[in-house]
Amino acid sequence: MSAVDAGMHEGTATPAADRTTTGPERLRLAGPLTAVTAPALRAQIRQAVADGRTRQVIDLRAVTALDAAGIAALLEARRVLEAQPSGTLALRANDVVCRALKDTGTITAFALWTGPGM
Amino acid sequence: MISVEHQGPDAPSQSTPPRERGSVISRGTRVYLRTFTPADLDHLSAWVDDPFLERMVGSEFLQSYKHVWDKSPAFFEAVLTDPTQIVLVIEAHRGWTKPVGVVRLFNIHLLEGYAFLETIITDVRAMKRGFGVEAGKLISYYGVDVLGLRRIEAKVYEYNVLSMNSLRRNGFRQEGILRQAGFDGERYWDLVIFGILKEEIEAQRQKDKVYLPLDPPEGNGREPS
Repeated sequence: MSAVDAGMHEGTATPAADRTTTGPERLRLAGPLTAVTAPALRAQIRQAVADGRTRQVIDLRAVTALDAAGIAALLEARRVLEAQPSGTLALRANDVVCRALKDTGTITAFALWTGPGM
Repeated sequence: MISVEHQGPDAPSQSTPPRERGSVISRGTRVYLRTFTPADLDHLSAWVDDPFLERMVGSEFLQSYKHVWDKSPAFFEAVLTDPTQIVLVIEAHRGWTKPVGVVRLFNIHLLEGYAFLETIITDVRAMKRGFGVEAGKLISYYGVDVLGLRRIEAKVYEYNVLSMNSLRRNGFRQEGILRQAGFDGERYWDLVIFGILKEEIEAQRQKDKVYLPLDPPEGNGREPS
């Protein structure tokens, strides 16, 4: 996937290194998740579903700004993943993300990962 | 910027500096919409002092920049991190060296699927060229396609016939009137409420190939209530 147009940069780790055999895969985001960068997240999720990687934890702890387009992308990710058999989505959030989700009334729409590791 | 990386010890983290000119979000035949940038605050500073815009639009966005934020540069960060609005700058394709306005969706309710539309054409020379119509259309498509909206609403002062006709051209319907809900500093005016549903936006999209922005307006002010 080319993520350059959206201002996103993709890691080069191979998919096999991204997940454990039983646990969810983590997608780590850093910087603003806004109208400019949200399309790349959508593309990442679409690709993950196409590859059968339907158990995802999106790590938002390094996100510095979250606007309506970013939240809409997260909502779509949840909808797309949870439409798959055994598909799940959990978020790891920081204060910026939590505030944006609270302000928009969407925080209850997501499962927030608070466990150790990941 | 944002980086997406897969978990793994060899996954690098990279970033690039922000784009000064903003990123293009949507393109039309006459205008394109780009992201709001810190450099746009200079334009905003001029627009908020325009009494014509104040009377015709009465924008809370512009008023907030002037009166709440006192034209502070911090306003940019506040807009960027406001998850209830999307602010896009309108640029015309040819012969225009400055932005011709700003369009935004605000009070966005993502779960309920509705938001409010505000389109501001700030350059008098850019009016009656279809720029506002197309900007409103593009951001409406964005609202449906990206934000998942199913309804968009707009309010217009009863004397702003140009905005009412622009909304009608985009398929908005007059849904009601808020009697004497607006105050221009001298007297109270009615606010006319317009709305459009997702299906109606899709119907408008089908008409894009015969879109003729320089046709005479369909309406002449507000409809009888």
